[in-house]
Amino acid sequence: MKKSVFLGALTVAGLVAGAASAATLDDVKAKGELACGVSTGLVGFAAPDANGNWAGFDVAICRAVAAAVLGDSNAVKFVPTTGKTRFTALASGEIDMLARNTTWTFSRDVDLKFTFVGVNYYDGQGFMVPKELGVSSAKDLDGATICIQTGTTTELNLADYFRSNGMSYEPVPIETNAESQQNYLAGACDVYTTDASGLAATRATFENPGDHVLLPEIISKEPLGPLVRHGDDQWGDIVRWTLNALISAEELGVTSANLAEMQKGTNNPEINRLLGTEGDLGGMLGLDKDWAARVIAVSGNYGEIFESNIGESTAIGLARGLNAQWKNGGLIYSPPFR
Amino acid sequence: MSQVENREIDRSKMKVSDKVAIQITGMNKWYGAFHVLKDINMTVNQGERIVVCGPSGSGKSTLIRCINRLEEHQQGIISVDGTELSSDLKNIDKIRSEVGMVFQHFNLFPHLSILDNLTLAPIWVRKTPKKEAEATAMHFLEKVKIPEQADKFPGQLSGGQQQRVAIARSLCMKPRIMLFDEPTSALDPEMIKEVLDIMIELAQEGMTMIVVTHEMGFARQVANRVIFMDMGQIVEQNEPEEFFNNPKSDRTKLFLSQILGH
Amino acid sequence: MSDLSYVRTEMLGEQEPPLGETGILKWARENLFSSYGNGALTIISVVFLFFVLDYVLPWMFQSSWTANSLGECREQIAAAYGEGTDGACWAVIRERYRQLLFGFYPSNLYWRPILAFVLLGFAIAPVLFDKLPRKLLIFSGLFPFIAFWLIWGGTLWTPVGALLGFGIGYLASKFLPSLIGSLGATIATFLLPVIWWVFLYGPIGAAIAVYVGDNNMDSAIAGYEQRIASGEMNAAELVTAKRELKTLQSLPDKKAELAGLEVEAEKLRAALPDYLADVKTPENLPIATSKEDKVAFEKLLNIEGREVGIRDAIQRIYEDVGRIGPMVPVTSDQLGGFTLSILIGITGITLSLPIGILLALGRQSDLFVVKTICVGFIEFIRGVPLITLLFVASTLLNYFMPPGTSFDLVLRVMIMVTLFASAYMAEVIRGGLAALPKGQYEAADALGMDYWQATRLIIMPQALKISIPNIVSNFIGLFKDTTLVMIVGLMDPMGLSNAIRANQAWNGIVWEIYGFIALMCSGSSVSPCHVIPCIWSASFRPDTRVKEHIKCLK
Repeated sequence: MKKSVFLGALTVAGLVAGAASAATLDDVKAKGELACGVSTGLVGFAAPDANGNWAGFDVAICRAVAAAVLGDSNAVKFVPTTGKTRFTALASGEIDMLARNTTWTFSRDVDLKFTFVGVNYYDGQGFMVPKELGVSSAKDLDGATICIQTGTTTELNLADYFRSNGMSYEPVPIETNAESQQNYLAGACDVYTTDASGLAATRATFENPGDHVLLPEIISKEPLGPLVRHGDDQWGDIVRWTLNALISAEELGVTSANLAEMQKGTNNPEINRLLGTEGDLGGMLGLDKDWAARVIAVSGNYGEIFESNIGESTAIGLARGLNAQWKNGGLIYSPPFR
Repeated sequence: MSQVENREIDRSKMKVSDKVAIQITGMNKWYGAFHVLKDINMTVNQGERIVVCGPSGSGKSTLIRCINRLEEHQQGIISVDGTELSSDLKNIDKIRSEVGMVFQHFNLFPHLSILDNLTLAPIWVRKTPKKEAEATAMHFLEKVKIPEQADKFPGQLSGGQQQRVAIARSLCMKPRIMLFDEPTSALDPEMIKEVLDIMIELAQEGMTMIVVTHEMGFARQVANRVIFMDMGQIVEQNEPEEFFNNPKSDRTKLFLSQILGH
Repeated sequence: MSDLSYVRTEMLGEQEPPLGETGILKWARENLFSSYGNGALTIISVVFLFFVLDYVLPWMFQSSWTANSLGECREQIAAAYGEGTDGACWAVIRERYRQLLFGFYPSNLYWRPILAFVLLGFAIAPVLFDKLPRKLLIFSGLFPFIAFWLIWGGTLWTPVGALLGFGIGYLASKFLPSLIGSLGATIATFLLPVIWWVFLYGPIGAAIAVYVGDNNMDSAIAGYEQRIASGEMNAAELVTAKRELKTLQSLPDKKAELAGLEVEAEKLRAALPDYLADVKTPENLPIATSKEDKVAFEKLLNIEGREVGIRDAIQRIYEDVGRIGPMVPVTSDQLGGFTLSILIGITGITLSLPIGILLALGRQSDLFVVKTICVGFIEFIRGVPLITLLFVASTLLNYFMPPGTSFDLVLRVMIMVTLFASAYMAEVIRGGLAALPKGQYEAADALGMDYWQATRLIIMPQALKISIPNIVSNFIGLFKDTTLVMIVGLMDPMGLSNAIRANQAWNGIVWEIYGFIALMCSGSSVSPCHVIPCIWSASFRPDTRVKEHIKCLK
C-alpha cells in the first residue's frame, strides 16, 4: 500500500496503516505509475533532457517495466537517488525498483535484503592517465596520486589492488564525478579511476581525448543491474523477465523495426512464446500476452538500447565487450522463454 | 530634600475614608533562604497617602511590589479592594488593572511613542476604543503638563518628563490605588520637583497612594502616615508630625538623623 | 603712515582651482593614490584585474549561443575565432535556463510559480508600507495558501481546509476565554486546529472529492474521449490519455471488485479460528497454528492487501476527477531549480521565525516541562549538522511512517530545514530577550497585561529589533544551505547542474552552469532575507508604524 501524502492526507495514511499491504504489482497499477529510482545524473545511463524527459541505459529498463505493467512507457515517476539514499528509498517503499548502475554484491543482496534481478551492464574499474606520462600498465602506478570518488566500492577496490601488488598511492578524495574530471584535467592527480564505462564517457568529453589513455587492467568486477525489495517474488519476476525479454529479443533477432511483423507469428516457437502468439507466459506473470512486445516496442531490444545510449555510435562510444551476447563471446545471456 | 517645603498644601482636600483599600495580614516572604519580609501587617484605607521609608535593603520596595504581585509572597494574606491575591491569574490581572505602579527607572516602552505608551494598555487590557483612549491619554498628558510631547519617543524626553509620562500611563488605566517605587531617585535634583508636584496634585484629588521615597519633605507635607521599615519589618509607623518630631524607636532616630542631618 | 597699514583697493575675482583639486583627478588622488603604498596597491590591482579580464572577457564573448552540444560549441568557436580558442559554451544556458529556473515544472504552467512570486511582492507590500490600506494585510495572511495552491495545484480543498484549521484556532482564542477560562482557551487554541488537521481535514476532503468526482465523472470521460478523437496528440500522449481514460472507466468495476473482496474477506475472517483474530502479520502466528489455518490466514491477508490496493486506486481516481478548481496538480518531484531553492528558503525563513519565537519564549518559561522540551529540542537540533537532518528526512523518516507510506520528500526536507532554522532562530531571539531590561516586563505586568499581550506588544517588538542583524545573517545562511538538498537527490540548481552534465550533449561543461547559478544566487538570496524579519517584527506592532522598522533594512 502506498499513499502520496501531502499535508492533511497524512492523517489518512495514519488511519489506514494496518498490516495489510498490497503487492507491488497491484500497487503500481493502482497508482498508475511506476516509481523508479535512477541516478541524479550519469552520462549514458540516466539524465533528463531540456524538457525534463529522462533518457539513458538504466532509464530504458524503467520504461520497459512500465510498458510491461501499465502499457505506457511514460507512466514512470523517476526518483533521482544519490549513492547514499538509493537503498533506503527502495527499502522504505518510496520507489518500486532501482535501476541506478548499482553493483551486485553479496552484502547488498543478502544483508540489505534486495533482489538483483539480473545484470544489464558488466563493468569493471579501470584507470585513465595522461598519455604524456608514458604509463602503459597499472603496475607502473606505484606512488601515483589518484583521484577517487569517496563512498563507493571503487575506493575499496583501489586499496585492495595496490595492497595486493605491494604498491603505494596517494588518494585525492573527491565527492562527484564532475569534480574529479576537473581535478584530473587540472593536474591535481596523475590518475583518474572509476568504472571503465565512466572513464570512457569522461574521456569522450575532453577537448583532446587522444591525450589520455585507458590502461588495460580492469581491477574489479562490477556487474550492474536493476534490483527490487526482498519479499515480493512476483514483482521481482516481472522486472527480471522484462530484462530477459530485452536480452532474448536481441538474441532472437526481434527488433523495434521488425516487431510488428514478428507479432503476426513466426516459425520460431520461442519468438512466438516471447511475443505472446503462443502460450500464455504473460498470464503466469500476472500480465497480459503482449507484455514483452510492448517492452520491445519502447526502444528496441537490449542491443538497440545499448547502441542508442552508450554504444559506439554515441559520444561515449563503449564497445560491447563483455556485454555482447553469449553467442558473440560476451556474458549477456537470458534463460529461455519456455 | 526640601523640594516641596515652601509649597502650600491644602490638606483639607485629602480625605481618608474608612473603607479598606489594602489589607495585609501576617505576610512573610523569602528570596530563597533569605527572609526578606517578616510578619507584615498593615491596613490602608481609601484616600490614604502612605510614605514608606527605611534604609536600603529594608524590604520596602519588595513590600509594595508584593501588593501588585510583581513579587510573590509565601505566607499571609494580601487583599486589595476585597480581592485576595493568590496564584489565580484572574485575580492578579484584576488587581493589577486597579493598582497603578510607577517605577524608579520609569520603564516606558522605548519602541512606542508617548501617546502609544499611554493608550496601549487601555486599548488592549480595558478594550477601550482607540479614539477614547487617545482622548483620555491627552487629558492625562495635559495633567502632567507635557501634551506637546505626545508624538515623541521616550528616548527624546528628559528624565523628569519620562517619569511624568510614566505617571500619566498608570493613570490612563484609571487605577484606584497608586504605588510609587522611589519615583524620584533616578532623577537630577532640578527634575525632582516637577514629579513631586504631580504627585501632590494626585494626592489632593484623593488618590490612595503608597510611596516608597526618601523625600522627607514630601512625606511631611502630603503623607497622612509614615511607615519606617528595617530588616524586613515594620519598625514604626505614625502620623508625619509625630514621626519626624518624636520618633520612638532607636532605629528610626538613627535613620532620621542620617537622612535629615545634613 | 606706518608700514603696517594696508588697504585693499580692488577685490579679487574667483580663479580656477588647480588641476588636482577638482573632478576625477581629485577623486583619484584621494581614493587611489593618497600615499605611495596606496598608489602601489592601486597599480597592482589594476594589473591583476587586467590579467583576469584578459582571460575571462574573451572567454565570455568568444562564445557559442546556438550549438546543441559541447562538441558543436567547440566546432563553432574554432570556426569563428580560430583553432584552439577557449570560449564559453553559453548554448547550454540557452537550452537549459528554463530548467535551472523551474526544474521539471510543466512548461505550460510556468505562469503559476511566476504568479506566486509576483503575489509574494503584493503580500509583502502592505507590511512594509503603512500608507497602503490595512485590509491588504488579509491578503498577506492568505498568501501562503494561495502560493501553495498555485505551485502544487490540485483541489482547492487542500489550502482551504488547512486555512480552516487556523480559523478554528482564531475562533477558539476569541470566544473560548469567556467560556472556559484563559488557560483552557490557550490549550484549546492550539489543540482544536490540530484535531481538525489530523482527524477531520483528510476524511472531509476525501468525501468532498467523492461527491464532486461522481458529478464530474461523465464530463471527464467525455473530455478524454473528445481529446483522443481530435487527433491532436502525439503517440506517447495518446497512449497516456488512453490509459487514463481506461482508469476512469474502470471505476464501477473497481467498486464492484472491492465489494466482492469485502464480502470474501468477511467470510474468511469469520471462518478463522478465534485465536488468530488478533494476529496481524504472518510472523506473529502462534507456532502451533495448523497448516490449514495458516493457509486461510495468508489468503485473508492477501485479500486484505488487494482491498487496500483497490481502495487506494478508487481514491486516486476520485482525487483526480473530484478536484475543485482548475489547477492541474503538479507533484513535488517536478519541482526543481531556483523555484525549489526559493520555495524551501522562503518557507524555512517565514516559518522558522514564529517557531523560533515560541521556542525562545518556551526556553524562558517557568513551566518545567515546556522549558525542558524547548531546551532539549534546541540543543539537539543545534548539535546535529543540517546534512544529517536532511538524511534523516530522506531516509529515516520513512521508517517511522506506516509501512509503504511515502511522505513527500520536498515536504520532509522543508520540515527539517524549518526545524533546523528554528532552533538557531530561537537562540538569536533569546539573545534579544536577554538584552531587554527586566523593567519592561514589570511595566507590562503592572499595567495588567497578560503574558501573551505583554509578549506581543512590548517584549517581542523590542527583542526582534535587537536581533535583526543576527536574524538576517541566519536567513542568508539558511538560503545558502538549501543547496545541501542536492545530497538527498532533490534537483536544486546544483543538483541540476550535475543532471545537465550527465546529458551526453553537455557532459564536461562546468564553468558556464556554475557561473549562471552564481549570478542568479547573488541576485535572489539577499532581498527575501532582509525583508522577512522586518515583516515579522512589524507584525508584532499594535500600530504598524513600519518606517521605524524599515530602518532595519538599512
